[in-house]
Amino acid sequence: MTTWHLIVEATGCPGAENMGIDAALLREARRDAAFLRLYRWSPPCLSFGRNEPARTRYDLATIERLGLDVVRRPTGGRAVWHEHEVTYTVAGPATMFGSLKETYIRVHTLLAAALGRLGVPVELAQRPSGRVLGPGSGACFAAPVGGEIVAEGLKLVGSAQIRERGGFLQHGSILLEDGQNLVTRVTRGAVAAPAATSLRRLLGRRVLFEEVTEAVAAEARATWAGSWREVKVGCTTEDIAHFADPEWTWRR
Amino acid sequence: MSDVPENLHYSEEHEYVKPADDEATYLIGITDYAQGELGDVVFVELPDVGAKFGQMDVFGTIEAVKAVSELFSPVGGEVVEVNEAIEGDPGLVNRDPYGDGWMIKMRIGNPGELSRLLSATDYKQHIGE
Repeated sequence: MTTWHLIVEATGCPGAENMGIDAALLREARRDAAFLRLYRWSPPCLSFGRNEPARTRYDLATIERLGLDVVRRPTGGRAVWHEHEVTYTVAGPATMFGSLKETYIRVHTLLAAALGRLGVPVELAQRPSGRVLGPGSGACFAAPVGGEIVAEGLKLVGSAQIRERGGFLQHGSILLEDGQNLVTRVTRGAVAAPAATSLRRLLGRRVLFEEVTEAVAAEARATWAGSWREVKVGCTTEDIAHFADPEWTWRR
Repeated sequence: MSDVPENLHYSEEHEYVKPADDEATYLIGITDYAQGELGDVVFVELPDVGAKFGQMDVFGTIEAVKAVSELFSPVGGEVVEVNEAIEGDPGLVNRDPYGDGWMIKMRIGNPGELSRLLSATDYKQHIGE
C-alpha cells in the first residue's frame, strides 16, 4: 500500500530552494516514496524550462533591472512567472500511475476535480493541431497542450514532468491571479501574449492559497489510495547550490 | 501497432541498437513505440563524441512536450558520432526513429552485451503488442 506524504508550505521559498526540494523528492520517489507537495514562492520567481535557450530568449538586463529571482527547473517546458499561484508537485515511483501520458492525465484529472470543488468550470484541453511549440517558443502559458487544465479555453494550470531512474515528478502552477505578462516583458522580440486565466478571473473574487491547497489535499486523500501522512521536508545545501548556480540557470 | 524491425536489438527502456559501419559500431536511438509514448520531441541532449558509457548508463535526455526523460545506453562503449541533425530538427525522432532520427553511434566494448538485450519478438511482448 502506498504511503503518501503530504507537504503543505504556506510560507514561500526562493526559487533555488523550491527546485532543490523537488529534486530531493524525486530522489526519494525513485526509492518508492510518494509525495504531494503544495507550495509557493518568496520572493516571486521566473523559472525557465530545463532546455530553454534562456540566454538568447530573455533579456538579462531587464531581469536584473527588475531584480527578479530566476531559476531553471529540472523539468521541461517553457518560462513561468511564479507569484500569485499555488504550485503543486506530485512525485512517486515511475510505475505508480503508468506511462508518462497516463501520469499526466491522472494528476490533471485530480486537480480538475479539486478545482471543481471550488466551483471552477475546468476541463482537460484537447490536443492542438499544427506545429508543437518547442522550448525556444516563449511562455509556458502562451498555449495549452493536450491534457492540460483549461477554463473558458484559457490555460489555468501549467505543468511539466520528469522521469528518471524509476521515479517521476510532475509539478505545475495553479494560477490564483493574472501575471504571466511578466514573461512577455522580459522576452526579447515579439512573443505571443499569454493565453492564461486565473481563479480570480473565473470566480470573480480573490481565492486564497489555503482554499486551493485544502481542496487539492482533500481530493487526493479521497482519490489516491493509501495512507496519508502530513510531513515537512527540506533539501540539501548541494541541491540548493545546484539550482542557485548561474552556470545551470543560464546554461543555454 | 508500433514498428519493431526484426534485425535490431532492444532494451526494456525502449532504446534500439542497430548495426552500422562495421561489426563493432552501432546506431542507438529510441523505438517507434517510445516516440509515440513521448509525443512530439522538442529537444534531445546528446553526449560529446569520445564520451564512454557502461551498459544502461544514462547517455542523455530527451524532452517531449512537457516531459523530460533519460536516455539509457543499451550497450557499453565509446561515442564515435552524434546525430547533429536532430539538434536542429528534433521531430526526426518522431518521424523516422530508426532512420534519420538515430541519436548516437557507438563503438561497443563487449559484443556479449548484445545478447542481454531483447529481440524484436521479445520487445513486442514487452510493449504488449
